[in-house]
Amino acid sequence: MSPVEISAQGEVADRLAAVGALRRLADQLEDAAVEEAMRAGWGWPQVAEALGVTRQAVYKKHAKRLIAAGVALRRRSG
Amino acid sequence: MSEFDHYLHGVLMRAAEEARAEGSATVEAHHMLLALAAGGDPVLAAAGLDHAAVRGALDQEFAHSLAAAGVTMPSGPPRSAPAAGPPRSAPAAGTPSLGATAKAALDRAIGRAPRKKDIRPGHVLLGILLAEVGTVPRALALAGADRHALIERLP
Repeated sequence: MSPVEISAQGEVADRLAAVGALRRLADQLEDAAVEEAMRAGWGWPQVAEALGVTRQAVYKKHAKRLIAAGVALRRRSG
Repeated sequence: MSEFDHYLHGVLMRAAEEARAEGSATVEAHHMLLALAAGGDPVLAAAGLDHAAVRGALDQEFAHSLAAAGVTMPSGPPRSAPAAGPPRSAPAAGTPSLGATAKAALDRAIGRAPRKKDIRPGHVLLGILLAEVGTVPRALALAGADRHALIERLP
Protein backbone atom coordinates (compact mmCIF):
# COMPACT_ATOMS: atom_id res chain seq x y z
CA MET A 1 0.00 0.00 0.00
CA SER A 2 1.37 3.41 -0.90
CA PRO A 3 1.66 5.92 1.95
CA VAL A 4 -1.49 7.96 2.48
CA GLU A 5 -1.15 11.73 2.19
CA ILE A 6 -3.00 13.25 5.13
CA SER A 7 -2.98 17.04 5.06
CA ALA A 8 -4.88 19.89 6.64
CA GLN A 9 -5.32 21.29 3.13
CA GLY A 10 -6.55 19.74 -0.07
CA GLU A 11 -9.89 18.53 -1.35
CA VAL A 12 -10.55 15.81 1.21
CA ALA A 13 -9.64 18.09 4.13
CA ASP A 14 -11.78 20.87 2.62
CA ARG A 15 -14.83 18.62 2.39
CA LEU A 16 -14.42 17.42 5.98
CA ALA A 17 -13.88 20.98 7.23
CA ALA A 18 -16.97 22.11 5.29
CA VAL A 19 -19.11 19.74 7.37
CA GLY A 20 -17.82 21.20 10.62
CA ALA A 21 -18.21 24.76 9.33
CA LEU A 22 -21.79 24.12 8.19
CA ARG A 23 -22.68 22.72 11.62
CA ARG A 24 -21.21 25.82 13.26
CA LEU A 25 -23.04 28.07 10.81
CA ALA A 26 -26.33 26.23 11.41
CA ASP A 27 -25.88 26.63 15.18
CA GLN A 28 -25.16 30.34 14.80
CA LEU A 29 -28.17 30.85 12.52
CA GLU A 30 -30.38 28.88 14.93
CA ASP A 31 -29.26 30.94 17.93
CA ALA A 32 -29.95 34.18 16.07
CA ALA A 33 -33.28 33.08 14.57
CA VAL A 34 -34.68 31.65 17.82
CA GLU A 35 -33.68 34.80 19.67
CA GLU A 36 -35.27 36.99 17.00
CA ALA A 37 -38.51 34.98 17.13
CA MET A 38 -38.72 35.04 20.93
CA ARG A 39 -38.03 38.79 20.99
CA ALA A 40 -40.86 39.15 18.46
CA GLY A 41 -43.23 37.37 20.84
CA TRP A 42 -43.29 33.83 19.40
CA GLY A 43 -43.93 31.03 21.90
CA TRP A 44 -41.81 27.90 22.38
CA PRO A 45 -44.34 25.62 20.59
CA GLN A 46 -44.31 27.76 17.44
CA VAL A 47 -40.52 28.10 17.39
CA ALA A 48 -40.17 24.35 17.94
CA GLU A 49 -42.60 23.46 15.17
CA ALA A 50 -41.02 25.94 12.77
CA LEU A 51 -37.61 24.38 13.46
CA GLY A 52 -39.02 20.87 13.23
CA VAL A 53 -37.87 19.84 16.71
CA THR A 54 -39.63 19.18 20.01
CA ARG A 55 -40.55 21.95 22.41
CA GLN A 56 -38.37 20.30 25.05
CA ALA A 57 -35.37 20.34 22.70
CA VAL A 58 -35.66 24.00 21.78
CA TYR A 59 -36.34 25.03 25.38
CA LYS A 60 -33.40 23.05 26.71
CA LYS A 61 -31.05 24.46 24.08
CA HIS A 62 -32.04 28.14 24.24
CA ALA A 63 -33.99 29.11 27.39
CA LYS A 64 -30.99 29.66 29.66
CA ARG A 65 -29.17 31.84 27.14
CA LEU A 66 -32.22 33.95 26.31
CA ILE A 67 -33.15 34.44 29.97
CA ALA A 68 -29.54 35.49 30.68
CA ALA A 69 -29.78 37.93 27.75
CA GLY A 70 -32.90 39.45 29.29
CA VAL A 71 -35.29 38.38 26.52
CA ALA A 72 -38.88 38.52 27.81
CA LEU A 73 -40.13 34.99 27.23
CA ARG A 74 -43.75 33.94 26.92
CA ARG A 75 -44.92 31.20 29.22
CA ARG A 76 -43.52 27.85 28.11
CA SER A 77 -47.05 26.57 27.52
CA GLY A 78 -47.97 29.74 25.61
CA MET B 1 -2.45 24.42 42.96
CA SER B 2 0.86 24.29 41.06
CA GLU B 3 2.05 27.18 38.92
CA PHE B 4 1.16 25.19 35.81
CA ASP B 5 -2.36 24.39 37.07
CA HIS B 6 -2.85 28.09 37.71
CA TYR B 7 -1.67 28.92 34.18
CA LEU B 8 -3.87 26.25 32.58
CA HIS B 9 -6.89 27.39 34.57
CA GLY B 10 -6.39 30.94 33.28
CA VAL B 11 -6.07 29.75 29.69
CA LEU B 12 -9.21 27.62 29.92
CA MET B 13 -11.22 30.43 31.53
CA ARG B 14 -10.24 32.80 28.72
CA ALA B 15 -10.89 30.06 26.13
CA ALA B 16 -14.39 29.58 27.61
CA GLU B 17 -15.02 33.31 27.08
CA GLU B 18 -13.93 32.95 23.45
CA ALA B 19 -16.28 29.98 23.02
CA ARG B 20 -19.20 31.89 24.56
CA ALA B 21 -18.55 34.90 22.34
CA GLU B 22 -18.66 32.60 19.31
CA GLY B 23 -21.90 31.00 20.48
CA SER B 24 -20.13 27.64 20.82
CA ALA B 25 -21.40 25.16 23.43
CA THR B 26 -17.92 23.66 23.73
CA VAL B 27 -14.39 24.98 24.21
CA GLU B 28 -12.32 23.86 21.24
CA ALA B 29 -8.60 23.98 20.45
CA HIS B 30 -9.02 27.14 18.39
CA HIS B 31 -10.55 28.90 21.43
CA MET B 32 -7.46 27.89 23.43
CA LEU B 33 -5.27 29.31 20.65
CA LEU B 34 -7.21 32.60 20.82
CA ALA B 35 -6.78 32.61 24.60
CA LEU B 36 -3.01 32.13 24.31
CA ALA B 37 -2.77 34.87 21.67
CA ALA B 38 -4.79 37.23 23.87
CA GLY B 39 -2.46 36.47 26.77
CA GLY B 40 0.53 37.57 24.68
CA ASP B 41 2.12 34.14 24.33
CA PRO B 42 5.75 34.92 23.34
CA VAL B 43 6.04 32.27 20.60
CA LEU B 44 2.80 33.39 18.95
CA ALA B 45 3.70 37.07 19.38
CA ALA B 46 7.11 36.54 17.74
CA ALA B 47 5.29 35.15 14.69
CA GLY B 48 2.97 38.17 14.60
CA LEU B 49 0.04 36.10 15.83
CA ASP B 50 -1.79 38.37 18.25
CA HIS B 51 -5.48 37.91 19.09
CA ALA B 52 -6.70 39.90 16.07
CA ALA B 53 -4.46 37.97 13.69
CA VAL B 54 -5.65 34.57 15.02
CA ARG B 55 -9.29 35.70 14.95
CA GLY B 56 -8.84 36.87 11.36
CA ALA B 57 -7.24 33.59 10.37
CA LEU B 58 -10.07 31.60 11.96
CA ASP B 59 -12.73 33.71 10.22
CA GLN B 60 -10.92 33.16 6.93
CA GLU B 61 -10.78 29.40 7.57
CA PHE B 62 -14.52 29.37 8.35
CA ALA B 63 -15.39 31.18 5.11
CA HIS B 64 -12.98 28.98 3.13
CA SER B 65 -14.49 25.77 4.55
CA LEU B 66 -18.05 26.93 3.89
CA ALA B 67 -17.03 27.80 0.33
CA ALA B 68 -15.92 24.18 -0.16
CA ALA B 69 -19.60 23.27 0.32
CA GLY B 70 -20.75 26.04 -2.03
CA VAL B 71 -21.91 28.28 0.82
CA THR B 72 -20.86 31.90 0.84
CA MET B 73 -21.42 34.42 3.57
CA PRO B 74 -21.32 37.82 1.86
CA SER B 75 -21.01 39.63 5.17
CA GLY B 76 -18.68 37.19 6.92
CA PRO B 77 -19.55 35.16 10.00
CA PRO B 78 -22.55 36.57 11.94
CA ARG B 79 -20.41 37.08 15.04
CA SER B 80 -18.00 39.47 13.34
CA ALA B 81 -20.55 41.32 11.23
CA PRO B 82 -23.49 42.18 13.45
CA ALA B 83 -24.63 45.04 11.22
CA ALA B 84 -25.26 42.88 8.15
CA GLY B 85 -26.22 39.31 7.47
CA PRO B 86 -27.93 37.18 10.10
CA PRO B 87 -28.58 39.04 13.34
CA ARG B 88 -26.09 38.61 16.11
CA SER B 89 -27.35 36.48 18.98
CA ALA B 90 -26.81 36.69 22.72
CA PRO B 91 -23.80 34.68 23.93
CA ALA B 92 -24.31 31.20 25.35
CA ALA B 93 -25.10 31.07 29.06
CA GLY B 94 -23.18 29.01 31.58
CA THR B 95 -19.73 27.48 31.22
CA PRO B 96 -19.05 25.71 27.93
CA SER B 97 -17.70 22.17 28.34
CA LEU B 98 -14.36 20.97 26.96
CA GLY B 99 -14.77 19.84 23.35
CA ALA B 100 -13.05 17.01 21.49
CA THR B 101 -10.31 19.13 19.89
CA ALA B 102 -9.41 20.85 23.19
CA LYS B 103 -9.22 17.47 24.94
CA ALA B 104 -6.97 16.12 22.18
CA ALA B 105 -4.70 19.18 22.50
CA LEU B 106 -4.44 18.75 26.28
CA ASP B 107 -3.71 15.02 25.90
CA ARG B 108 -0.87 15.83 23.52
CA ALA B 109 0.41 18.55 25.92
CA ILE B 110 0.53 16.04 28.78
CA GLY B 111 2.06 13.39 26.52
CA ARG B 112 4.91 15.72 25.56
CA ALA B 113 6.02 16.30 29.16
CA PRO B 114 8.43 13.56 30.34
CA ARG B 115 6.78 13.48 33.76
CA LYS B 116 3.65 15.17 35.05
CA LYS B 117 5.68 17.61 37.16
CA ASP B 118 7.69 18.62 34.08
CA ILE B 119 4.71 20.08 32.26
CA ARG B 120 5.20 23.75 31.35
CA PRO B 121 3.02 26.46 29.76
CA GLY B 122 4.76 25.85 26.41
CA HIS B 123 3.36 22.33 26.32
CA VAL B 124 -0.18 23.71 26.03
CA LEU B 125 0.60 25.64 22.84
CA LEU B 126 2.56 22.63 21.60
CA GLY B 127 -0.44 20.36 22.15
CA ILE B 128 -2.59 22.74 20.09
CA LEU B 129 -0.02 23.13 17.28
CA LEU B 130 0.66 19.39 16.96
CA ALA B 131 -2.78 18.81 15.42
CA GLU B 132 -2.02 17.74 11.84
CA VAL B 133 -5.53 18.35 10.57
CA GLY B 134 -8.53 20.45 11.55
CA THR B 135 -9.41 24.08 12.14
CA VAL B 136 -6.15 25.22 13.77
CA PRO B 137 -3.64 23.99 11.13
CA ARG B 138 -5.99 25.18 8.37
CA ALA B 139 -6.31 28.65 9.87
CA LEU B 140 -2.55 28.95 10.46
CA ALA B 141 -1.83 27.92 6.87
CA LEU B 142 -4.32 30.49 5.55
CA ALA B 143 -2.63 33.14 7.71
CA GLY B 144 0.73 32.20 6.21
CA ALA B 145 2.07 31.03 9.58
CA ASP B 146 4.61 28.20 9.59
CA ARG B 147 3.22 25.69 12.12
CA HIS B 148 6.37 23.57 12.08
CA ALA B 149 8.61 26.58 12.74
CA LEU B 150 6.39 27.46 15.74
CA ILE B 151 6.62 23.88 17.03
CA GLU B 152 10.43 23.99 16.82
CA ARG B 153 10.50 26.93 19.21
CA LEU B 154 8.60 24.98 21.88
CA PRO B 155 9.78 22.37 24.41
